[in-house]
Amino acid sequence: MTSLKRSAEGDTFGSNISNKTYVRSTRSGKVQKIVREVYLRTDIPCSSKLCKACLQSAPRNAANEVQPFVLSEKPAGTKSFPQGHYLMPDTNALLNAMDLFEQSSSFYDVIILQTVLEELQNRSLPLYNRLLGLTKSEDKRFYVFFNDFRQETFVNRDPDETVNDRNDRAVRQALKWYGQHLAQTKAKNIPAVVMLSDDQENLRKAKAEGLHAASLRQYVETLEDSDKLLDMVADVQSSGGFKKPGQMLYPEHFTTSRMMTGVKAGLMHQGIFNVSPYNYLEGSIKVPAFPKALLVLGRENINRAVDGDLVVVEVLPQDQWKEPSTKIIEEEAITKNEGADAEESQDLVSEKERKALQEEVKKTHKVKSEGGPQPTAKVVGIIKRNWRQYVGHIDPSSASKGSTQGRRMDNVFLIPMDKKIPKIRLRTRQASELMGKRLLVAIDAWERDSRHPTGHFIRSLGELETKAAETEALLLEWDVQYRPFPKTVLDCLPSEGHGWKVPASTDDPGWRDREDLRNLLICSIDPPGCQDIDDALHARKLPNGNFEVGVHIADVSHFVKPANAMDTEASIRGTTVYLVDKRIDMLPPLLGTDLCSLKPYVERYAFSVLWELNDNADIVNVRFTKSVIASREAFSYEQAQLRIDDASQQDDLTNGMRMLLMLSKKLKQKRMDAGALSLSSPEVKVQTESETSGPIDVKTKALLDTNSLVEEFMLFANISVAAKIYEAFPQTAILRRHAAPPKTNFDELSNQLKVKRGLELRSDSSKAVADSLDECVDPKEPFFNTLVRIMATRCMMSAEYFCSGTQSYPEFRHYGLASEIYTHFTSPIRRYADLVAHRQLAAAINYEAVHPTVRSRGRLEAVCKNINVRHRNAQMAGRASIAYYVGQALKGQVAEEDAFVMKIFSNGFVVLVPRFGIEGLIRLRDLAEPEPDSEFDAENYTLKTKGSREVTVELFQKVRVRVHDEKDEMTGKRGVKMELTSA
Amino acid sequence: MATSQVLLSPAELAYIHSSLSLRPPIRSDGRTSTQFRPLTAETGVLPGTNGSARVCFSDGTEAIVGVKAEIERTRADNEQEDQEDGAAQRQVRGDWVEIAVEIPGLRDDDASTVFLGEMLREALLGDGDFARKLWINRRFHWRLYLDILLISPPLSYPLPLLSLTTHLALLATRLPRLKSEGDEDPMFDDDWQASQFLYSQSESARPPITLLVVAIGGNVIFDPSKEELAVAESALAVSVAAAASEKAAQDQRRKLKLVSVRMVDPPSRLTPPGIPNGTSSGTGAAPAGKEGESVEGVWKAPVGGTKFAILDGIIQAVLEKGGVADEVLDGLKDVELA
Repeated sequence: MTSLKRSAEGDTFGSNISNKTYVRSTRSGKVQKIVREVYLRTDIPCSSKLCKACLQSAPRNAANEVQPFVLSEKPAGTKSFPQGHYLMPDTNALLNAMDLFEQSSSFYDVIILQTVLEELQNRSLPLYNRLLGLTKSEDKRFYVFFNDFRQETFVNRDPDETVNDRNDRAVRQALKWYGQHLAQTKAKNIPAVVMLSDDQENLRKAKAEGLHAASLRQYVETLEDSDKLLDMVADVQSSGGFKKPGQMLYPEHFTTSRMMTGVKAGLMHQGIFNVSPYNYLEGSIKVPAFPKALLVLGRENINRAVDGDLVVVEVLPQDQWKEPSTKIIEEEAITKNEGADAEESQDLVSEKERKALQEEVKKTHKVKSEGGPQPTAKVVGIIKRNWRQYVGHIDPSSASKGSTQGRRMDNVFLIPMDKKIPKIRLRTRQASELMGKRLLVAIDAWERDSRHPTGHFIRSLGELETKAAETEALLLEWDVQYRPFPKTVLDCLPSEGHGWKVPASTDDPGWRDREDLRNLLICSIDPPGCQDIDDALHARKLPNGNFEVGVHIADVSHFVKPANAMDTEASIRGTTVYLVDKRIDMLPPLLGTDLCSLKPYVERYAFSVLWELNDNADIVNVRFTKSVIASREAFSYEQAQLRIDDASQQDDLTNGMRMLLMLSKKLKQKRMDAGALSLSSPEVKVQTESETSGPIDVKTKALLDTNSLVEEFMLFANISVAAKIYEAFPQTAILRRHAAPPKTNFDELSNQLKVKRGLELRSDSSKAVADSLDECVDPKEPFFNTLVRIMATRCMMSAEYFCSGTQSYPEFRHYGLASEIYTHFTSPIRRYADLVAHRQLAAAINYEAVHPTVRSRGRLEAVCKNINVRHRNAQMAGRASIAYYVGQALKGQVAEEDAFVMKIFSNGFVVLVPRFGIEGLIRLRDLAEPEPDSEFDAENYTLKTKGSREVTVELFQKVRVRVHDEKDEMTGKRGVKMELTSA
Repeated sequence: MATSQVLLSPAELAYIHSSLSLRPPIRSDGRTSTQFRPLTAETGVLPGTNGSARVCFSDGTEAIVGVKAEIERTRADNEQEDQEDGAAQRQVRGDWVEIAVEIPGLRDDDASTVFLGEMLREALLGDGDFARKLWINRRFHWRLYLDILLISPPLSYPLPLLSLTTHLALLATRLPRLKSEGDEDPMFDDDWQASQFLYSQSESARPPITLLVVAIGGNVIFDPSKEELAVAESALAVSVAAAASEKAAQDQRRKLKLVSVRMVDPPSRLTPPGIPNGTSSGTGAAPAGKEGESVEGVWKAPVGGTKFAILDGIIQAVLEKGGVADEVLDGLKDVELA
């Protein structure tokens, strides 16, 4: 009987076919044995420019071109390898020190093996993505060698060999092959191929086989500025091996399967872990099973979760339920004198922390407010870490004093800018140099026996408080892509550059299906100094007595074609970010500020929405068209307002604006009647002196009628477009929704209003909210209404982009605008969602064919998810920038201002200063020295102090505060400091 | 009966029958009564399965068996019972194994095919240990699909062939290694090399084998050829499994367990009888009153059951130490598991 099995020898194809067997567990719970055939080839090139043989045999693409070779013919040399060298890291080297490979002073000409790449993908997806980025960058010369598909370097797994050992062997095999292969080139200087590994066994075996191999540490020590580079090696390996088994401080995490079973059975809950901004020992987690978030209190219960992680929690027994704290607990203040070295001697929960918790417990027992204790939970495991790179600075008190001379390894604490992130322990040799600088670090691990997570240093952004460092810091913190546009993106721009013009001949393909609207009296109204003009308007009376109103939006989709490099970059950036003195563009400035921008006196392509409205601003007719317009004037809000108010101006343009204003007021009234909310957030404008770009004054933004004119028509256009694209693409239209807030969100505010002012906040519909907000007035204090609106805004959900197929029609509703359907269409220069809406609208009016990216629901969902995050981050970055500048503006000044109490804790309160639009925290210990005794009445939101200073502070109260800037020596932040002058 | 009719004349049948009735019987291929035909076997022929085997008999018949395993949620009513009974109880069910038999030229719902499949299934499940191996935890179990294919024409009754191939395939069957504990949703090691044999080499338990035994004239003959089956007075399918026992593992001797015995209708019953010279119309004698009597050297289809003594003898021969089952299992042990 001849065997049916494929045998290795005897078979002519046996040598270049192999197979791979593994077990696949599918999401639906199936477990399958998978056998894959592996076809081995001999034409995968080594990609070294030295090698002629590979260039001959390398596979060619359809154009008969070989992929350009990557590795340099003259790679850099080191002390040990003067002839030059290629690097070949194994997986643990990349896991431990990806940052090393990313920095620019060394680590060029690197061979990434397929084995390593695949292993890295399984171990850490973020690192894998970073490595992919590296392999794509041309200047770093990273080459992915598909060793598992090349016959000579393929390694069959031996029986009883672990996967790890097999992979290590594959790396060594590839190393050996490269060495032999390069030797055949007969070049004068044959570069050494050096394996980098932190696996002692692998290193030993490589050396036994006579191959070049070095541990990361050994290798880096031969480079220049090795001290700086050594810091980037993750802490894990430097302490590995001889670590004494310390006392376990945290409970062990459950296994994934145990958590999944618990979650499925409803006994455990999964959700994103959020840390309270006021108390770093209190977290909350919103889970689908309960309407309200679960509380997670204390270090032990938080169990190494970091803000943003996807965790699984278990509800604690009822006797451990607590109320959310009414106390401000800041990590710096409580743990300030810990030394980073003296870690082991301390208990998990320090004495001070324990005290703080005890007071909590006491309070829970004493006060029985209507809510009662809330369910608490403890973290039992972490499904996915959401660690990113963090910006912070070194806690000066954690560095040992004698470290100024000598390059000793030091343990220091890094205090992240984000208060929700715990202190990070760093090991560094350059503590004294890094002191007082903004640093970028990454968290590596958080072991059970370590009180704080350990991380490593990536790079320094510059001195604390310098503008460049602080701006970069906040861009990094909010994950704003601020690098210049790469060449591939700039290549997508029109070749004429700034010289591009609307073609003169209407036969040009650019004019196809475009309406000529150059004769219309169109103007734009924007903030002063606006360069990226998205929108322009016009209105005129029609012979039948109705009005024709047009909203003309920059035709960005004409310049940004779907799925090219520029489109991809824009979809990643998602939005333009406005900082006080800086704008991070979504599209290259040539488009944003020139070719797309609807500048006055020049012809531009536009996408127009044209309505016929009657006297009552009801729509008689609406149509959409691509067009060519010539804007007559670009007004600022103030200029437009002055021109409208000036009765002597009777030209058509001004009259058109008057018509617009009249119609916009009607539109607004209709919207308000439907229950649209007018909410507030403190908006401040920082005026900057142009030359030095130093701030000089802070102003709150004034609102004119013309602001609301533009806003109304933009909303109007967005709603019309939303209806149109939804009609054309019921499954894939990109829309924006604002969910109705759950009733419980308003509970606290409505209770506060009832107790303090006897006012009622009804929240059954947006109309009810809008009406009751209107009634919340204090005749003596005009700002009170705004204050309530600001607080109400914080109870709302945030609006989000979505793809129409993912929600049912009633869910489309925009709560705040009281519109059934809504999208973003009017700012394609600065928002990616608008660009997608443009493409969909163009397809809906048969202007162009539907591009697959605009039609694929999966891709649109991914786009929505990304732009929702980017949008929020951009807002946060903008706010952070304003806060920084307000701090700088107040530098050296002291101002006494009115302020309002927004939130009360048992040991402090938060006030809002309307003039600067900033919030500040006033702690009891700031009131007087020694800290006054206090009595906190949680039910009446009142805080009374006795002893060293007697004041009574209650919610909504107007107080006088002294505002000045202060640089906190401990945290190194320049912040606004407030002191209570009179209550 | 799945075999095609044997084309033997009554005289030939009578000849074979009488030679097999001798003590010791003389078989046409010269085997002893307990000797099996030589066979070749290999495992792991189907890479995509959890276990597979292929066996060729020297008469040219050949079979392939593939075993696929799937995770299945155990029905909720089991769970509740369990909670009442206490944790240790492992509820198992027969329908966790699904067997499909494919015989060329026959429909898969043909009575004889179904009967074959049922016999193999009965043997597997009669040994309660087998289903217990499929138990993962109280909420999940493995479900096994056995695909049994005869790939040659059915030259002889394929039961022993199919049974031996199934036995080998089950021996070669490996299941992914369980990583989770207790009643959690099962999670498995994705490394196939870490997977574990359903029947581990170190323990003594073995999947059952079904032997076909015929009785002819008081003789017990194992592994009958097609011609021998055509003259059998009775045919039995005897299933034997090696039970797991610590003692057995220690002294290297397996503890055999009789799992099932089933009568098979032998094809001999359908053969036409021979006509003795005395009654032949050709010789002119009157066919009076001699119907039931058998005449030496004249073939007559057997009727009636099997004597208890013969049954007992068969079981003895199968189960005794160093007996037929031992011999077969020893033979199959040497097949390399891939």
